[in-house]
Amino acid sequence: MTDIEFLGLVDNAYINVPYAGDRKSNYIDLPNRIYDPVEGQRVMDDALDVVVSLEKYGFDGGGISEQHNGPIGLWGNPFVPATWIASRTERMKILVNGPIMNNYQTPIRLAEEIAAVDTLSRGRLIVGLPMGHGMQHHSTGMNPATARARHAEAHDLLVSALNNDGPFEWNGDFFHVPYVNLWPRPTGPISFMLPGGGSIETQQLAARRRYAYQCVLSPLEVMAKNMQRFRDFCREEGYEPAPEQSAAVITLHVAETDAIAKREVQDIEEWGYQNFFLSPTHDNFPPGYVSLASMRGMKGGYRSKPMNEMTYPELLENRWIVAGSPQTVADGLNEVIEKLGLGRVIIPLTTGLKPKWMVDKVLTLFSEEVLPQFRPAGKPLVSAEDRVGFDTRLEYSVKRRKGHPVPAIVRNGNLLDVNKARLDGVDAVLGPWPGTTQEY
Amino acid sequence: MSNAANIPGAARDVDERSWTYWTTPSTVVVDGLETAFRRSGTGETVVYLHGEGATRAWLPLHQELASGVDLIVPEHPGFGDTERPSDFNRVDDWVLHYESFFRTLGLSRIHLVGHSFGGYLAAQLAVYFPDRFQSVTLINPMGLRLHGEPLRDRFRWTPEEEDSHWFNGRRDLLLEQLTREGSPEQDVQAYAELTSIALLLWNPRYDTKLDYRLARLTAPLLSIGVDDDRVVGNQMATRFAELASNGHFTRITGGHEAPSSHQVVLEQPEDVAAAVIQHVIANS
Repeated sequence: MTDIEFLGLVDNAYINVPYAGDRKSNYIDLPNRIYDPVEGQRVMDDALDVVVSLEKYGFDGGGISEQHNGPIGLWGNPFVPATWIASRTERMKILVNGPIMNNYQTPIRLAEEIAAVDTLSRGRLIVGLPMGHGMQHHSTGMNPATARARHAEAHDLLVSALNNDGPFEWNGDFFHVPYVNLWPRPTGPISFMLPGGGSIETQQLAARRRYAYQCVLSPLEVMAKNMQRFRDFCREEGYEPAPEQSAAVITLHVAETDAIAKREVQDIEEWGYQNFFLSPTHDNFPPGYVSLASMRGMKGGYRSKPMNEMTYPELLENRWIVAGSPQTVADGLNEVIEKLGLGRVIIPLTTGLKPKWMVDKVLTLFSEEVLPQFRPAGKPLVSAEDRVGFDTRLEYSVKRRKGHPVPAIVRNGNLLDVNKARLDGVDAVLGPWPGTTQEY
Repeated sequence: MSNAANIPGAARDVDERSWTYWTTPSTVVVDGLETAFRRSGTGETVVYLHGEGATRAWLPLHQELASGVDLIVPEHPGFGDTERPSDFNRVDDWVLHYESFFRTLGLSRIHLVGHSFGGYLAAQLAVYFPDRFQSVTLINPMGLRLHGEPLRDRFRWTPEEEDSHWFNGRRDLLLEQLTREGSPEQDVQAYAELTSIALLLWNPRYDTKLDYRLARLTAPLLSIGVDDDRVVGNQMATRFAELASNGHFTRITGGHEAPSSHQVVLEQPEDVAAAVIQHVIANS
């Protein structure tokens, strides 16, 4: 059996909102006068506490997402909480799922954030690169008609900036950067993931780029076909995909018994679907956001039922939610993993309507009674030793690059090593200046 | 010219089209782009630039206008049966296309008319090529920044809201003019056309350059407004007239039945045609 990577994705929904069915949607223009900063702090605190706790529960990683203009989530920039999480965890990966690149005036700005948090987290970042859902284009001014082309070029520039020596010039359709020259640089290659709703284009893109492909919110049989097609695309690209490249989002709720699980979570999940998944077509699919072929498919009945009308039994049936006793959840999870061929499971852990004590209970039961069935050795896949960088000054001194330029000044016609200039009896002169050039 | 990014109706079989106002368009190749247009009538040359949703038909307004002028109704790149080239993403792409269209057809002494989004394109054409036109008529145009007007977010309307905004609740009375092939293809066509509008007017939803550029117009500009425009508001048409040199405003009222709407071109084609032809004749 493949070692499955388990990542928790913690939202921080703000739940004290009117029923969305009385409005077009709660996504875009719910008046923010109902926002209470004290409640907001509680929401953020709880979310961060849960993410950090995932390490002790034995998860391989924990993450957050980017949301705008409404109660579905309060992290406008997910790198802000990611930095906080990095400082309070040691081992687990940090999933930023993810920055919406078209919100950035230039992907260079995003590359800087990735490199900084990658350094602070000691190489533990996983970065999802979603397009951003349709509603966010109404919220932020991103033009959906150019979104996919701009996103594609932004990705290429981002990756070039992260991986290639600078300075170099970028001559694109959307970005012209005369001097791409990233400081700071990441500690190593960044792990990326592409969330997809089932479009062939996204699967091909993820396969070509050798990224993880994450599927979500489609019927189980459709998700299985999507994952298989993604792996076929990888093989067409000439490689066998790594297990963690096959990822899916599965909501879990573990309780003492099936009956208790249903009692605890049914209303909560239906509230989420009815209030957070309700959006009219023009909000979901602003002009140009999807191809004409996709629009034709949707208008022709591709999605049989609006998500906000999904009932709890339907959510269970499609395995969008796996809920019940520890054994029921373990069996359900195993079924989805087997059916989809997953190597990475992303588990949403709401701290919205589900009270924090209940999230803690779910995590305790999952960690102690479900996870051991997938991890007989009792260890997460990653350990603190996998981290890059250094733990001690000793390690820093041993690992740091040697032969780098020393800080220098010119005095009395000589170039001097500043670190030696203040010491008696030490020759600080590097050579006459002009005439002496430092190698780099 | 690179491949079209957006091919709504052009790839489909026109023989299957049988809605009331369908007529087969002529086509002309403009800078490599096959451009669909309809033409009828004699007299002064009038080019009519359509608004959203008014493609693939020879409508009563067109018939009225063609009874008094030589009327040419092209379909914009990205609309109707004219593809949108993938490099088209700025308004000057559409402006230059139309300038080439006029040259390709050998048109001179052009009277330019535009409704709604077509009014926006007509205003742009007129500021880029002020000497090209004998007169300009804008009917409920869009594209200026107005302060104090509430946001009317054309990109977020549900079908019910579209009825309320576009048709002031009277959509059902216009079904004959609005019917095309039906869902899903009609929806796909509408999505494609709206995408072309979004390229130009998503962010921002106006062109501040027009504020000073409209003074470049030399041809007389008639800006036609209505009683109750729920798409662009009631200040837009008057503001175009104020900003244009030699501009003036007139309102087509709905009479005693109901206040006139943004879709006055569908609801009151005789009144619109009379106002347009009067302006054309006065400036011939």
